[in-house]
Amino acid sequence: MKVESRTIIGAFVFLVILAAAYWAMVATYGHTAERSGIAMLIFSFSAYGLLGFYLLAQYFRRHGTPRVEDRFDATQEEGAGVIDYFPAASIWPAGMGLGMIFGGCALVWGLWYLYIGGILFIGSVIGWVTESDYTEDVLPGIDPAELADHEVPSGPSLPHHG
Amino acid sequence: MTLLEDRPQPPSEEHNPLLMDIVPGPRPAGLVKYITSTDHKQIGLNYLVTGLLAFVVAGIMALGMRTQLIVPNNHFITADVYNQLFTIHGTIMLFVFAGPFGFAGFGNYLVPLMIGAPDMAFPRFNNLSYWLYLGGFSLLMAGFLTNNGAAQFGWFGYAPLTEAIHSPGPGGDLWLVGIALTGFSGIFSAVNIITTIFTLRAPGMVMFRMPIFVWNILVTMFLVLLAFPVLTSAFALLWIDRHLGGNFFNTQKGGQPILWQNLFWFFGHPEVYIIALPYFGVVTEVLASMCRKPVFGYKGMIAATLSIGALSMGVWAHHMYTTGAVLLPFFAAMSLLIAVPTGIKFFNWIGTMWRGTIVLNTPLLFSIGFLIQFLMGGVTGVILAQPVLDFQLHNTYFVVAHFHYVIMGLVFGGLAGLYYWYPKMTGRMFDERWGKASFILLLIGFNLTFFPQHDLGLRGMPRRIETYNAGLGWNFLNELSSIGSYITGLGVVATVINLVKSYRSGPIAGDNPWDAQTLEWACSSPPPDHNFEALPPIRSERPVWDANHPDMLTKVGH
Repeated sequence: MKVESRTIIGAFVFLVILAAAYWAMVATYGHTAERSGIAMLIFSFSAYGLLGFYLLAQYFRRHGTPRVEDRFDATQEEGAGVIDYFPAASIWPAGMGLGMIFGGCALVWGLWYLYIGGILFIGSVIGWVTESDYTEDVLPGIDPAELADHEVPSGPSLPHHG
Repeated sequence: MTLLEDRPQPPSEEHNPLLMDIVPGPRPAGLVKYITSTDHKQIGLNYLVTGLLAFVVAGIMALGMRTQLIVPNNHFITADVYNQLFTIHGTIMLFVFAGPFGFAGFGNYLVPLMIGAPDMAFPRFNNLSYWLYLGGFSLLMAGFLTNNGAAQFGWFGYAPLTEAIHSPGPGGDLWLVGIALTGFSGIFSAVNIITTIFTLRAPGMVMFRMPIFVWNILVTMFLVLLAFPVLTSAFALLWIDRHLGGNFFNTQKGGQPILWQNLFWFFGHPEVYIIALPYFGVVTEVLASMCRKPVFGYKGMIAATLSIGALSMGVWAHHMYTTGAVLLPFFAAMSLLIAVPTGIKFFNWIGTMWRGTIVLNTPLLFSIGFLIQFLMGGVTGVILAQPVLDFQLHNTYFVVAHFHYVIMGLVFGGLAGLYYWYPKMTGRMFDERWGKASFILLLIGFNLTFFPQHDLGLRGMPRRIETYNAGLGWNFLNELSSIGSYITGLGVVATVINLVKSYRSGPIAGDNPWDAQTLEWACSSPPPDHNFEALPPIRSERPVWDANHPDMLTKVGH
């Protein structure tokens, strides 16, 4: 997470400098109508700042114990175990997409398209979230607790490496 | 049904690497598979095929325009139709073909394979973004079926042309909603791919061992996250103007057309790099693989990509010099700065080829084509980035020639990638002769089409005119340009024939036909569900090469 967070925070710092420079130059050379650029640059560095510092917090949460994918010397055996669960084929994304397309048509031809789009969208959301149950559909022989272990290890029990 | 995915392991007796094979039941096939699949490879292929279809459709529109312009005072199509054609041609080429073909097509297919992941982080979300993309494409095309025809205001939809009084009817709205849907699709893909790259890498695949292609996709995705929300908000304002009587861009009621230009180009210039960066990555992989060398200056390449991404956020108003409402020195300086990291990339590409054992096959030829075309487009870009010259050349055919050199350069990169990964995607080898024929036709046809347009621009021919008078000195150059466009069309046909023919009857390719370097060549062709049965140890940025050539291990310098 170190490289990831540094990359995004680097972009954040660059955009802060860019926004400040742009603001100063616009103020100096007097294009008073140009406020949109400053607003958009502020939006940009805020978005990157949010993500970058979130990733930095994730990095500190691990108390210096890097993930296997962040270690240069990690072997495939060390990463053994369940990675995550991946849903099988599903009809609901297509239904939700169709609902959103109908929602788009409502913006063109009239709001009655929203009835079709809304029904498709809400129906698909319900279908999507009830489709697979994380705890019930786990394969035989896998302890659900193993999935929890895959998450970030809790802090105090681990040795600190600075 | 839920599938749990185990980490792939080196084969051993006590370990069963194929946990998912325990899951019984039939797998969907055919149309059902196309609609419901959550497999990143299937979705990537959907994007690639739909993108190629969009390329052909928008290319036919371009042929219509060139036929209209082949002789002066031509009446092949009316001015209305001509306006619709250039608007939808530009929109489809940028929003439906060039961008998604790279970051969603190649990105979906290759990113999980290259970092050793079983699938994307959010597989169903991935499927949803494909349907939004297809819906956007369909709505853009649906404009032609309406009474007033499709949108006619050009792909950047300048206000006040887009206001309801100047562009009545559903055509403009369909353009707006179509692009907004592809924009949502792009944002969803961005969230998905960033999460995948950050959390699903294989053990040992640290950030600085990822292939350059994955780095480029990552930077592209961050640009998508900043650019598309701005565009969507601009579209919301425009929709309010058109339907609810808003006056954001309406000059008669005190609105600001410049605001639209600022919002649009704040999206539009990062969009250029959203289109370009994935193909930079593709070309890097092809050059390294076909020249039998590691990428020259791996970290410099990453630094260049990151700087291009960062600088591209500060150059939006170089499309607006002639409005007189922007800060010329700031944007000129920022635009010229971007030439520096791009120059580093060119240096590194040439360094990768330098003293390599070059295999001169179709993917490499297309990559070299990319280097030449894109360099031409880049040089004219430096010319246009200078306000003194831009005031002369703005809105002439010189600009048309400039960005077509840039984007056709990227198309060469895209075709290089398509040929390079074709054996991985289909399991079959393409036909070299058809591929080389296609390359030669495209190279000749493309340069014949667009090189004369530089001169046309210098002779003062403005873009977007549907006809012109004889006696302006434009006749011969336009004739050349139109003939070139037909040859380009033949080149695309040759590629399509090659891809279809080889899919049915090409020789079986094998898992690693190029003796390539990156991780996607470690699984079978085409890859099985959830990708890897066993992963080689990852000790450098080219793990498959290290596994196949233990005597020539990559030097690791971290």
